[in-house]
Amino acid sequence: MKVRLLTGLLSLLMPALVLAGEYNLTVDRVEIDTGDFVKEGIGYNGKSPGPVLRFKEGEDVRINVTNNLDEATSIHWHGLILPFEQDGVPGISFPGIQPGETFTYEFPITQAGTYWFHSHSGFQEPDGAFGAIVIEPEGREPFRYDREYVIQLTDKHPHSGDRIMRNLKMMPDYYNRQQQTVGEFFSDASSNGLMDTIQDRMAWGDMRMMKADVEDVQGFTGMINGKGPAQNWTGLFEPGERVRLRFINSSAMTYFDVRIPGLDMTVVQADGNNIQPVNVDEFRIGVAETYDVIVHPKDERAHTIFAESMGRSGYARATLAPEEGMEAPVPPMRDPARLTMADMAGMPGMDHGDMDHSSMENMDDSNMQDMDHGSMDGMDHSKMGGDDGQPSDPFYAKGSGIMPVAANDGKFLSYADLKAQKPLYEEREPTREIELRLTGNMERYTWSINGVKYEDADPIRLQYGERVRFKFVNETMMTHPMHLHGMWSILDVGAGKWNPIKHTVSVQPGTTVYMETEVDAPGQWAFHCHLSYHAAAGMFRKVIVEGGPDSTQAKTDVAIEEGGDA
Amino acid sequence: MNASKFLVIAAVVSMPAATFAAGADGHGHGMASGEPGKASQASRTINVEMYDNYYEPEMIDVEPGETVRFVVENKGNLVHEFNIGTPGMHDAHQKEMKMMVEHGVIQGGQIHHDMMNMDMGNGHSMKHDDPNSVLLEPGESQEVVWTFSDKGNVEFACNVPGHYQAGMYGEINLK
Repeated sequence: MKVRLLTGLLSLLMPALVLAGEYNLTVDRVEIDTGDFVKEGIGYNGKSPGPVLRFKEGEDVRINVTNNLDEATSIHWHGLILPFEQDGVPGISFPGIQPGETFTYEFPITQAGTYWFHSHSGFQEPDGAFGAIVIEPEGREPFRYDREYVIQLTDKHPHSGDRIMRNLKMMPDYYNRQQQTVGEFFSDASSNGLMDTIQDRMAWGDMRMMKADVEDVQGFTGMINGKGPAQNWTGLFEPGERVRLRFINSSAMTYFDVRIPGLDMTVVQADGNNIQPVNVDEFRIGVAETYDVIVHPKDERAHTIFAESMGRSGYARATLAPEEGMEAPVPPMRDPARLTMADMAGMPGMDHGDMDHSSMENMDDSNMQDMDHGSMDGMDHSKMGGDDGQPSDPFYAKGSGIMPVAANDGKFLSYADLKAQKPLYEEREPTREIELRLTGNMERYTWSINGVKYEDADPIRLQYGERVRFKFVNETMMTHPMHLHGMWSILDVGAGKWNPIKHTVSVQPGTTVYMETEVDAPGQWAFHCHLSYHAAAGMFRKVIVEGGPDSTQAKTDVAIEEGGDA
Repeated sequence: MNASKFLVIAAVVSMPAATFAAGADGHGHGMASGEPGKASQASRTINVEMYDNYYEPEMIDVEPGETVRFVVENKGNLVHEFNIGTPGMHDAHQKEMKMMVEHGVIQGGQIHHDMMNMDMGNGHSMKHDDPNSVLLEPGESQEVVWTFSDKGNVEFACNVPGHYQAGMYGEINLK
């Protein structure tokens, strides 16, 4: 897979020479076996997921990508800071890689941490075209561990990406298997009263949504490192060792709630950037995010890595064990979360204009009851966020039905816990604010920003050297992982200079989230929701950074526009 | 400090029986890790630098019964601790430190000493003043003089929440 131009010994002897590595990737049709089904997909070097690319901070990499498909392809290096022509988005960074062609990416590695790469063409990424990137820092890591594993999650679906998109366009609830049933209607009616229940259902119908819209593509098998739950990917450890787990969510559409029963996890990195360590029992990983955690298994026993989808429609499972073949119990999935009216609170822009305010108030009541008995079955109701001072997460709407709660009632990671270990940028006032309303119409499966989908939208123009504050207002009922290419997203968690930098920022339904960006990368970049079918449906923008060093500006002017894939 | 915050802290602090320091086991009489020493008896001085979040050095050899003068300097941007103890003592102390963080006594690079020194009644406080440890803001430097016992599983560690788990500890090798 990779050929180091310089051996370790040579680089020691000649420290003045720039470290350079050459890597080869082929893009291939591959077979993917989830244990539940076998399908054809796309992979790298004959496999999905592709290899783990290991780089060193300060290295100049050359990556030769050979397209063995009968269609164009591309590779985007997710989270890497690089010249925009190397960013791998057809139609924005370059024309793409044609069938039979070899394209050579060349860029310097200026950062360290856990990242990933994936195709940015069509639905090749949901079809399996992704792999992991691990970058070793120039200096020492600011933590200690004895061994490490990449834990790359995905939501493998039996249908191809093209087919899923066609079905969603035809019938947006095609893959929504958790729609409320007649039985559920009667059980709600008996506990909430018949009129409240009817009113509740009618109100939701008016909004052209269902409470089960937490996940709009269900029916997948969760996989870790290319293994389904039954195939049980296993990582070995010696009792007493500290193990670093590099979680990467390469799913097309699925958020996972991750825990390792019996082990405390210490989160030390988010989206490749070191954070002040946080001890947690469980964390939610958004699509395209990464989290690095350190665990310290002391006993001669196996532990299950359990990753339930946010909507509880599927799970991924792997094992940490002292010996191959050992395994630990796999917990049952918890009851599915249901959206509440709180998750809808930010929806003035949706076309449910015929809903009057009195019915809204009624719904609110009945819905809160519904949440208590429906989605939180068997749980201590007092644990739900709200007025009673119990755990709540400022990044979820108050009273949200999808706010996560740890399975053991312990600590669930919040964005509010993320604080930069070593802030990259000086804190300063933003030069201006740009509001981006995340919008959509579930009935037509259109997704957009400020009500305008990508093909109809003007690019967002930023000036080199400014610091822009982005205000995301989620007016839909789904969570959107917003990914700005090329520049860091400084997530406002209210920690001032300690605010963390990320490449992907999840915006929960009914919430407003702010992030700031130091506009320090000339060129043109993609900015989109990382849910594959939302991006394709139009929740996507081109960002043009104007100005900057003269040489780069000239290149931007002649940037090739072709393809139009996103 | 406003009154409501005071009440919260008072309620929390009325629980533990000791001050917020090295954990419950052993005040004065022969801790498993050793006991406070006198600087005049120290056989040598070891400089320990604290970074975000690790020590330099990360391993120290000592003779059984040796008295060592540690000069500890925080060269990081966050608050760090240097605490000599067994893993069990560190574990107990971490629960106390967690409370200190949750109640705002430690915030990023700052220690709010006014909150630590407050008299909580019944002789309790959130003082961090046991002789086996120092808690330092960035740029601060302090000494710990310690006489090690003959044996035991002893580490130096930072018990600010998450730091020990992330790897901010060092081994004491009793030769």
